[in-house]
Amino acid sequence: MDITTRTVGHDVAVVTVAGKLNIVSSASLREVVASAVAAGRLRIVVDLNAVDFIDSSGLGAMISGLKTARNAGGDLKITGAGDQVKLVLQLTNMERVLVSADSVDLAYADA
Amino acid sequence: MPKATEHSLRIETPPGDVNLVHELLAAVWENSPEVPIEERYRFETALIELASNVIKHATSSNGVSCVVRVQSTKGQLVAELRDTADPGDVQLVGRVMPDDLAESGRGIPLSQALVDELEYSQDDGYNLWRITRRFAS
Repeated sequence: MDITTRTVGHDVAVVTVAGKLNIVSSASLREVVASAVAAGRLRIVVDLNAVDFIDSSGLGAMISGLKTARNAGGDLKITGAGDQVKLVLQLTNMERVLVSADSVDLAYADA
Repeated sequence: MPKATEHSLRIETPPGDVNLVHELLAAVWENSPEVPIEERYRFETALIELASNVIKHATSSNGVSCVVRVQSTKGQLVAELRDTADPGDVQLVGRVMPDDLAESGRGIPLSQALVDELEYSQDDGYNLWRITRRFAS
């Protein structure tokens, strides 16, 4: 799995994940989001377009990131969920917790 | 008519690499191209959750060995995980999703939601997990 981060504006971090977000890789996502928030990028977008698999540990990493961002006064949204990711979000009732944006650009367009 | 296939592997923990299970399933799908994509998603997610659970909770002074066996037959996928971890207090009945902001605890209820049957038993000193998914073919 690969994770890259880029900054948009002054406080949005776009975290792009590629590959499988499972027990092997979820710790990296936690660390990347925590580092972004610590550096003042309080609004996080996790781009899942290139994620072909997620499990509950991947969900846990995103919930960890959501809490970290909110505790600092920010937020975390997701975008680009594929069919497997949507299935996992539905069955765990996480669709209403991990808010999905239509695109990276639209995630914080109203802010 | 699709042929029956069986694939297996052994995972040693530590290190315990769940990506080996993804590779095993890639071979299953290659030999069972008739399995619909949503059924692959369901079965793979459920099996990875169980394998991760074994790796995560592997407590034994000598390390843990887990044999994963996957059978694909017409309209049915079955996986068995047989591991040497110390027997856990496994509760399958009445498992529900944890609180919205919990960071763990979803693996077993998610697996149950994904497949038709999830069973756990202890057999001759081994933990035995078995999942079954049936689908129209």
